[in-house]
Amino acid sequence: MDNIINISNQVVLILAFLLVCAPLLSFFLSLIFKRFASVIAITSISTSFITAIILFIKIWFGKTLHFSIPWIAFNNFDIRLGFLLNNLTVIMLLLITLIALLVHIYSVEYMAKDKLKPRYFAYLSLFCFSMLSLVLADNLFLIYIFWELVGFSSYLLIGFWFTKEKAVLANKKAFIMNRLGDLGFLTGIMIMLSHFHTLDIEALFGSGNLIASSFVTNGMWVSPFNMMPDYWLTIAGICFFAGAVAKSAQFPLHTWLPDAMEGPTAVSSLIHAATMVAAGVFLLVRIAPLFNETVLIVIASIGVFTAFMAATIALTQNDIKRVLAFSTISQLGFMMLAIGVGDEASAIFHLVTHAFFKCLLFLGAGIIIHELHHLKEKHQLQFDEQDMTFMGGLFKSMPITAIVFIIAAMALSGLPFTSGYLSKDAILISVFEWADVKGGIFWIFPIIVSLTSWLTTFYIFRVVFKVFFGDFRLPQLLDVENHQFHIHEANAWLKYPVMVLAVFCVAFVFSYQPFSLEASWLFHQLAPQQHVGGIYHILVPVYINILSLGLLLITYLAYAKNKFSFGLEQTWVYKFSYQQWYFNEIYDAAIVKPILLKAKAYYWFDKNVIDGLVNSSATAIIHISSIANWFDVHIIDGLVNGLASVVERLNIWFRNVQNGKVQHYIIWMLLIMITFFIYLMIF
Amino acid sequence: MISLQHFLFIAAILFCLGIYAVITRKNAIQVLIGIELMINASILNLVAFARYDVVNNNGQLFALFVIVLAAASVAVGLVIILNFFKRVKTIDPNKANSLRG
Amino acid sequence: MGLLSILIFAPLLFALMILLLPKKYSQTYKYFTIAVAVIQLVITAYMYCQFQTGAAFTGVNQLDSYQFKEYLPWIRLDIGKFGALQIDYLLGVDGFSIPLLFLSALVMLIGALSSWEIKENHKGYFSLMMLLNTAIMGVFCALDIFLFYVFYELMLLPLYFLIGIWGGVRREYAAIKFFLYTLLGSVFMLLVIAGLYFSVIDPLTGNHTFNIVHMMNPQNYVPDGIFSFLAHQDILGIPARLLGFIIVFIAFAIKVPIVPFHTWLPDAHVEAPTPISIILAGILLKVGGYGIIRIAYSIFPDVALNLSFYIGLLGVISILYGALVALAQTDLKRLIAYSSVSHMGFVLLGLASLTSEGISGAMMQMISHGFLSVMLFFIVGVIYNRVHDRYIYNFRGLATHMPIYTGFVMIAFFASLGLPGFSAFIAEAFSLIGAFNSESVNGLIPRWMAILGSLGILLGAAYLLWTLQRMFFGQLRVKEENWLIKLKDLNVREILTLIPLAFFAILLGVMPSLVFNIINTSVNQFILLFT
Repeated sequence: MDNIINISNQVVLILAFLLVCAPLLSFFLSLIFKRFASVIAITSISTSFITAIILFIKIWFGKTLHFSIPWIAFNNFDIRLGFLLNNLTVIMLLLITLIALLVHIYSVEYMAKDKLKPRYFAYLSLFCFSMLSLVLADNLFLIYIFWELVGFSSYLLIGFWFTKEKAVLANKKAFIMNRLGDLGFLTGIMIMLSHFHTLDIEALFGSGNLIASSFVTNGMWVSPFNMMPDYWLTIAGICFFAGAVAKSAQFPLHTWLPDAMEGPTAVSSLIHAATMVAAGVFLLVRIAPLFNETVLIVIASIGVFTAFMAATIALTQNDIKRVLAFSTISQLGFMMLAIGVGDEASAIFHLVTHAFFKCLLFLGAGIIIHELHHLKEKHQLQFDEQDMTFMGGLFKSMPITAIVFIIAAMALSGLPFTSGYLSKDAILISVFEWADVKGGIFWIFPIIVSLTSWLTTFYIFRVVFKVFFGDFRLPQLLDVENHQFHIHEANAWLKYPVMVLAVFCVAFVFSYQPFSLEASWLFHQLAPQQHVGGIYHILVPVYINILSLGLLLITYLAYAKNKFSFGLEQTWVYKFSYQQWYFNEIYDAAIVKPILLKAKAYYWFDKNVIDGLVNSSATAIIHISSIANWFDVHIIDGLVNGLASVVERLNIWFRNVQNGKVQHYIIWMLLIMITFFIYLMIF
Repeated sequence: MISLQHFLFIAAILFCLGIYAVITRKNAIQVLIGIELMINASILNLVAFARYDVVNNNGQLFALFVIVLAAASVAVGLVIILNFFKRVKTIDPNKANSLRG
Repeated sequence: MGLLSILIFAPLLFALMILLLPKKYSQTYKYFTIAVAVIQLVITAYMYCQFQTGAAFTGVNQLDSYQFKEYLPWIRLDIGKFGALQIDYLLGVDGFSIPLLFLSALVMLIGALSSWEIKENHKGYFSLMMLLNTAIMGVFCALDIFLFYVFYELMLLPLYFLIGIWGGVRREYAAIKFFLYTLLGSVFMLLVIAGLYFSVIDPLTGNHTFNIVHMMNPQNYVPDGIFSFLAHQDILGIPARLLGFIIVFIAFAIKVPIVPFHTWLPDAHVEAPTPISIILAGILLKVGGYGIIRIAYSIFPDVALNLSFYIGLLGVISILYGALVALAQTDLKRLIAYSSVSHMGFVLLGLASLTSEGISGAMMQMISHGFLSVMLFFIVGVIYNRVHDRYIYNFRGLATHMPIYTGFVMIAFFASLGLPGFSAFIAEAFSLIGAFNSESVNGLIPRWMAILGSLGILLGAAYLLWTLQRMFFGQLRVKEENWLIKLKDLNVREILTLIPLAFFAILLGVMPSLVFNIINTSVNQFILLFT
């Protein structure tokens, strides 16, 4: 394959540089040439996309390439700037640039009316720059840098409509929760740096790597440079995982993602569904050799729990974007689980397929929201355009949107002939096999994950049937005549991107044989040594899908035909799910409030105790000094003044003696002489 | 027999009278007389002690010297009094306080 | 007359000119100030470019390897049996002082540029500012501890008046508090300086000496000197060197400031006029950090080594405590003042690690905090000048009303909460990395300190983003209607002031080696003191 495009490594380096820099350039240019912002942004991301294709072809079947230049050097380690191009990198590059390109095109129409459109495209470009750099980065420090920068651009984009109170609360929450994870990441970096004196991914995790050469013995974790207690190995794994937990919105740091839906829908689709949130999975796959058994079990448990929890929440949400957000969390949980059971290839495969169908779901939802928003503006109505209770029967007015949305929904449920079937079942199979090896309590993992899989089918088809089938409920609910509302199919800017995405939801894109995971080119290349066959490879897809189809029928009857309803609305189970397991309330009461309270308490302490100490010592000194002053005035000064007055008296007296009268002088002379003689006589 | 004590006693009385006159009199002339009395008292003492110096008669010699000096000083004193009288039209020494410091 | 002397005495000369100029030219005084700051900036930039690194230019305890050195015998007094009193006019720079000199020159320029708000008594104000400038430059150049102390105390005087006369409502309280706090620290330091003088002799002349560099060398101590390394003298039952270190450390810790010696800072900042806040935060705090490196750590390395744990702990406490208290603030300027406490905690933490990356991180943090705190205080000044209010809840949704201003606010806030790409990130990351590595490298401070310290980054994000959300986002609403007219967006002068700061913050974030390379040799030499 290497000879298809015959370019030297030098050129690859330049291309990679171009790939990253085009969006960065676009960020600045969009802010300067505001009128051409969308053109600049689309041009730059197209450049990146084309470059990504070239790099993909060059690298995919070829070799790993690694370039770096010095950046910061210290005594015992240095940190370099560099690119690492391997299979994982190029597949991510291709995925990100393709989806970003489609979202850019989609955004042209979606944001057309917004007067801050140039800023939007600038932020989008900044995101693309950070995300692509994150993928290309060759060491953990660089990954961390861009990891934070994608968080920053996500912050900017969630709060893009910064006059909306909810949006600015959401972006703050997103950034701070991500920061919490980042602390874990940073701690992980510190552990690696301290232990291995390098952060280079190749050196740490590549062939003949440092991780492999380190070992645990006698409770100590020994590397060629250093040794520390072995629990640091576990801590390192957990720390990196903490970073991924925050970025990929896993329990317990998942609550920012549903709130992040306050941003423009196109942003939600790109950042909060397809790419940025997948960065956590990407990171874990990059550093997978680090994890020991404990960490892997933690990852798997968190993954399966999150998947299940988010799926149960998604069952009852009425906000269409919120359902999709929880679905994203749930699917990311699947990927985490895959990593936890040691099947990174499936995780990445699912990451890729999920990116397409979830992005498509969001963009589809975006079209509907966009349309309803127009309706709302045109007729001056008051309703929430994201609320599914106002939708229904949209299939007739927007068939293309409906069809692509349904394709994506099928992919999400993992129904046959879709990409989701391949990737999700790959994860399920791995989990079953893993549980089979481990046995015992570990069988709980496949049980929960199957359950989650069915829940997925249920909630996504609930959305499908509520939105596209049945009657259009908005006129009834607002008590307006139906014929006033004309809902149109989306125009070309919105339509073509989703149609392209729909193509990538089909199994044939990934595998010529739609039922065989091993036949998938992507999976094959990522995990060439994966064993083939086994009982679960047939059993699992069959039993999952049969039940899924049954569920599909039930949802159809319940939500499209309204044959029956579950009548659970008043039960605590429903409320528990609808209120998202009360996580926001718990965090608010258990973490945010106490911290603010503590802050106030410390401030009180600062003002009253520390400063009080300073001030009271000042007052004490003032008191002491006033005592000293009294002493000074009355005792010391009194003494001095007393002496002075005595002298004064004497002075007056003596002055009177010398009155100029000769006879008085003589009397004095006489007296003194007599005194003198008396003195002589006595002594 | 008149002994040395008698001479000294007389001289002391004379001296005290002189002092008394000097201190109490409101007339400068009388003060001058008082001074004369004191000088004479001392002369009497000098003469009385001269008995013990028969060889050189220093006592008599000094007595004579003092008498001459007393005469000179009285002359000076009288001139002062006269000038004083010219200036302030009185010879009361209490009025003469321009020596005051 | 070397470059350093010009640097130090140029402001004094200009101050003289200002004093001689008649009052009717009072509008020109600020241009004098700007002129002198520009001259200094050019000189320091030139020095920075000319600064050489490598084995022959280590500085720290090698007197010969200091650069731009100047030497003049200053005071020579024969004091009988104590030998000759030897005080020198000795200046020189090494890797620790050169970036701070450049920073000072830049901050003084910004201070001058933000002095437009000063409305009364220009003559006094600007000449005091020049005097302050002289003192600051002197502190960073002096290598004779007596000279250092003279400049160090000289800084207090103009600051006292600048806060006390041109300050806010409670200016007298703040000025007195500031003055007493810092004086308290430095008075005891004088005793230590005297003790050091009698313990150290100049190896060349045999006289007792105030030379800082000689004090770093254990061979120069007389065997029975009070601070001798070997004699183990006691004062009041406490080892003399320990006591000496603690006194000097507290003197500088007050300046930094380190919890619990920090309470002068919020008051002084809140009451001081904007340019003085800028100078306080931008330079004065760094004098504290510089003093700890140059005096406390270098002269008492043995004690510093033993106390590393506690110093690191103080650093962590400062980081967390400052950040938490900042979270509770409703006055924007006070919030930023407390954030300074938090950020300067990283300096102490990095320093306590005694690893090359930790100390480099600490130095970087001082420089970065110099740029960023100046930017933050300038930003507060902008809003305060317009409406004379800083209460956070009185403002809302300023982003729509003042977009350029909000842009700079976001740069400043994100830079100081440690977003990668800005200098503070590099600084904090390497301080923490250093602190973490310490246990493996020299076992001085435990790893949990670094992890705990990193929580400061999280809290930093919390209070800054919360402020951003409360003041700048949401629907536009201010306390009084006419504020909307008063709250104009930035003018050209203000933009020109902010741009260089933002530029340097980004430059050092992208190319930290600009600083790391300069300080590296000195840092390594510094670490050798502790082995």
